[in-house]
Amino acid sequence: MVSMRQGPNRRTFLGAAAAGAAFGALPGLARRAAAANREFKIGLFIPLSGPASLFGPTDRACAELAAEEINKSGGILGRSIKLIPTDAGGPPAETAKSAVRLMLEENVDLFIGSHDSATREALVATVKGKIPYIYTPVYEGGECAFNVYCLGETPNQQAHPSIGWLAAERKAKTYYLIGDDYVWPRKTNAETKKYIAANGGKTIGEEYVPYGAPNKFEEVVTRIKSAKPDVVVSTLVGADNVNFNRTFAGFGLDKNIARLAFLLEENTLLGIGADNSRNLYSCMGYFANVPSPANTKFKAAYHAKLGPKAPQLSTIGVDCYAGVNCAHALVAKAGGTNGKKCMAASEGLTFKTAAGPATMRGRQVDKTMFLADCKGTQFEVIKTFANVPSGSACKT
Amino acid sequence: MDALIVTQAINVVYAVSTLAVLTLGLAVIFGLLGVLNIAHGEFVMIGAYCAYLTQSWNWPYLVALPLTLALCALLGAAVERIMIRPLYRRPFDTLVATWGLSLLLRKIAEAIFGPGFHSVTIPLPGTVQFLGIEYPIYRVVLIAVSFAVAAVLMIWYGRSRTGSRIRAMVSNPELAQAQGISVRRLAAATFIAGTCLAGLGGVMVAPLVPVQPFMGLDYVLRAFFVLVVGGLGSVPGLLSGAAAIGGVDSAISAASNATDGYFAVLVLAILFLWLKPRGLIARG
Repeated sequence: MVSMRQGPNRRTFLGAAAAGAAFGALPGLARRAAAANREFKIGLFIPLSGPASLFGPTDRACAELAAEEINKSGGILGRSIKLIPTDAGGPPAETAKSAVRLMLEENVDLFIGSHDSATREALVATVKGKIPYIYTPVYEGGECAFNVYCLGETPNQQAHPSIGWLAAERKAKTYYLIGDDYVWPRKTNAETKKYIAANGGKTIGEEYVPYGAPNKFEEVVTRIKSAKPDVVVSTLVGADNVNFNRTFAGFGLDKNIARLAFLLEENTLLGIGADNSRNLYSCMGYFANVPSPANTKFKAAYHAKLGPKAPQLSTIGVDCYAGVNCAHALVAKAGGTNGKKCMAASEGLTFKTAAGPATMRGRQVDKTMFLADCKGTQFEVIKTFANVPSGSACKT
Repeated sequence: MDALIVTQAINVVYAVSTLAVLTLGLAVIFGLLGVLNIAHGEFVMIGAYCAYLTQSWNWPYLVALPLTLALCALLGAAVERIMIRPLYRRPFDTLVATWGLSLLLRKIAEAIFGPGFHSVTIPLPGTVQFLGIEYPIYRVVLIAVSFAVAAVLMIWYGRSRTGSRIRAMVSNPELAQAQGISVRRLAAATFIAGTCLAGLGGVMVAPLVPVQPFMGLDYVLRAFFVLVVGGLGSVPGLLSGAAAIGGVDSAISAASNATDGYFAVLVLAILFLWLKPRGLIARG
């Protein structure tokens, strides 16, 4: 029985195998042939839904401006950039699912992300360094996963110089920390407390409100009032930061207590409003009104592209401009997206940002930091700290 | 130390009274008509944007009130006629329909005003001294107005002819119709009253919070919790629900921290849904 059936069976099998091989090979060949001149696809994770989506339009516009400029001068390794904006405003697990889809269906070459740290951790665990992942916004520092590159401000760049300044210039001794309850505020505050202690200060309160809940701040502000700190350090985000600062000033605490916030950019300050921004400080790597030649040139290009109704520029948005430029420089220097080669190429890599050229060390970026005093709804830079190191050095 | 306790106690009163006023609109629409209006928060948002517009046109703050009432009445009438009327007594369908409405209203606000934060200046700035403490004047006024609105509504609903007609409609629509009450018109008016009350709440809180397209989300969930705990269809139910949710949240936030306060609110809402689904004071 076995021998009788062997002949036709084997022939059928061989035929099927050959056909299968041909079918399998054809698209593969086609794919490889097209690879030389196909687009360089970048999955751009930005908040398009949810409360953080107010950053989305600027993120996208800045990334598109950079892609346009690079494409005009020949693209990445001769391939023109195609950005695929993808929502990162939902739960981290949803964003991770989108990352899998982008890798399998779109064959993206690289990821750029501007979203919270909880989403970054989910993406790092999903992407596993298979393609380079550039994380652009302000964050807690110390992200050293394989093939991940971070561009944002770290606690060493925000807290270190600003706490030092408050201690020296405002004679601040006691500090009260308030933040949203997730990884960025908690890790940032852990670092901040070290700098407070190093400057001879004392942390007299530290508390967190649930992230994403409809928070109100009367109780927190009343507690702060009775604790009488010299400085309140806020790692609240977005609407929570606005709500807190409005309540704080509403209770009249803005007269005597200074506030230092680590995610206070142009949009948030507009929400806080001119009546509530007395004695309020922000320390970031970019403010839209800094009159440096690089920023003036960048803003001219931005407004030429987007016209008078351009979305409000802030550090979060321009970091996406830096992200695309970093991708360009990184892949060009490494000659591709191979993880090990990119890691090696990242050391000492220089690339264009809205604030001028930046240099990557230990897969982080040293930055010139600005300490700004809020005057109404405008930032007035009162102190510039040049080339502040990121404080984290990852293996390359 | 005393000042701390007194201030925190007033914070609790403030939380309860503002929560009651921000729930009124949903209490009317959900409690009396059985329509779970997911777009409740978006009507609050419309009120807040009206306050913002009033201020950016340099009109006195109180002008925001008629502006909001007119806009919310117009919108409420259109929504009731087009979307809600065919769906009365189909609770799940109204839930889905009003959820869609909430997305639409949010996107319209975003298209007109952009996704960013707007700030409304407090019409009565500064603080006032009493009981040995300092408290923001505007919040004190808000507490008083909230109690006044709730009291007027309670008396009106209990004593007026329209109030008794509504009660007739709620308990037995067919019988009310047979008695010559135009149930259709009465239901439309009730719905419009609900949207107007939500808008009114928006005008009241606008100077305290960031005005933005997503702000409505903050209010609809809490309002729903209040009704779950307090029970549907009566002003005492609404007040006891607001006292339970707002009071527990504020008191625990004051004594411990905001995370525990929010946790307690969620536990309370779940316990009520599970063990006492008709709430503290069920409709008689």
